[in-house]
Amino acid sequence: MIGLVQATEAIKLLVGFGEPLIGRLLTYDAIGMNFREVKLRRDPNCPLCGQNPRIKDLSIHMEGAGGQVCAVGDDGQGAPAASSAPAAKPGG
Amino acid sequence: MKTLREMLAEARRVVPEQGPAELKAQLDRGEALVLIDVRDPDEYRDGYIDPAVNISRGFLEFRVASAAADPNVPIVLYCQTGLRSVLAAKALKELGFTNVTNLAGGYQRWVQSGLPIAKDSPLNTDQIQRYSRHFLLGPIGEKGQRKLLGSKVLLIGAGGLGSPTAYYLAAAGVGTLGIMDGDRVDITNLQRQILHKTSDIGRPKVESATETIRALNPDVTVVPYPVRLTVDNVEEILKDYDLVIDGSDNFETRYLVNDACYLQGKTNVHGSIFQFEGMATVFAPDRGPCYRCLYPTPPPPGLVPS
Repeated sequence: MIGLVQATEAIKLLVGFGEPLIGRLLTYDAIGMNFREVKLRRDPNCPLCGQNPRIKDLSIHMEGAGGQVCAVGDDGQGAPAASSAPAAKPGG
Repeated sequence: MKTLREMLAEARRVVPEQGPAELKAQLDRGEALVLIDVRDPDEYRDGYIDPAVNISRGFLEFRVASAAADPNVPIVLYCQTGLRSVLAAKALKELGFTNVTNLAGGYQRWVQSGLPIAKDSPLNTDQIQRYSRHFLLGPIGEKGQRKLLGSKVLLIGAGGLGSPTAYYLAAAGVGTLGIMDGDRVDITNLQRQILHKTSDIGRPKVESATETIRALNPDVTVVPYPVRLTVDNVEEILKDYDLVIDGSDNFETRYLVNDACYLQGKTNVHGSIFQFEGMATVFAPDRGPCYRCLYPTPPPPGLVPS
């Protein structure tokens, strides 16, 4: 289901029509068979795309770059969402 | 019974006409107008007036709304000599389109006036048939199909998410599909990873994926990457693609895809699933949030099952 949503979004973006899922998170629950849409906002404190980005290259991903390859040092500015780990995980 | 001449005269009384020079000037000024070529698709393929869309006379009333949603938008119709299109324009007026003009002398007079024409790279006969159902969809059409055939998409992961995505993109005629996955096919994959078959067990996933896609659509060039995405290979690989689709199964890769896509200005179509739940969104640099806006930090190890 999710893979098909991704394929559809890709086709829309490549051809250039429709409303892409930018700033919207579509969630899918197969058991209840529910789709929900959550609005997403840009985080002005985002270390990558925020107002004062700290990530300007991929060095953060290099081995030995402070333990966790993808984590950004905690500066106390993390949005509340930081505490809620993503519910969805492996594509597998 | 009316003669053809009477019908044309009647249409000309209600449909204003304009000449090629006048249309050219309007187009050059960038005026908002919808230009429709009402000839048959094979005539359009031989050359048309840019940026005309092709809706042949027989389908005009059925499909005009896909080109002109607003009935008050200025519409200019043309055919080869201006006869079919004047009748077509009258029909559109009767449908309620208020601002319809006919190009006097049609495409022929446009060409004779020495004005520029456009001609799309030809699709072969098989492609015209294969994608004919796309041509019926207004927003895609032949132009959209050409864009798809010229597009390059990188799929990260040929597993549960990447399998259906690759299948549908290949079927739709996305011209180049890069497929990246460092894993081999395992029997436990087969209940959901539909790119791979029982006989593929033990083979690199990108190999079986390549075979499956080539068998489905020979128009698609598959570029297999039998490796895991790393900080050392990501920039070099990404730069060749128009769009990235993240179907990976781990947070390290997702952050890496996110960061590399943002830094290169590439749109990332993100998806993830866990058991019966899934989510999808599009991260378009500076047009919306990125993965780090959504998840500033990865979950602590052990919180999420692997």
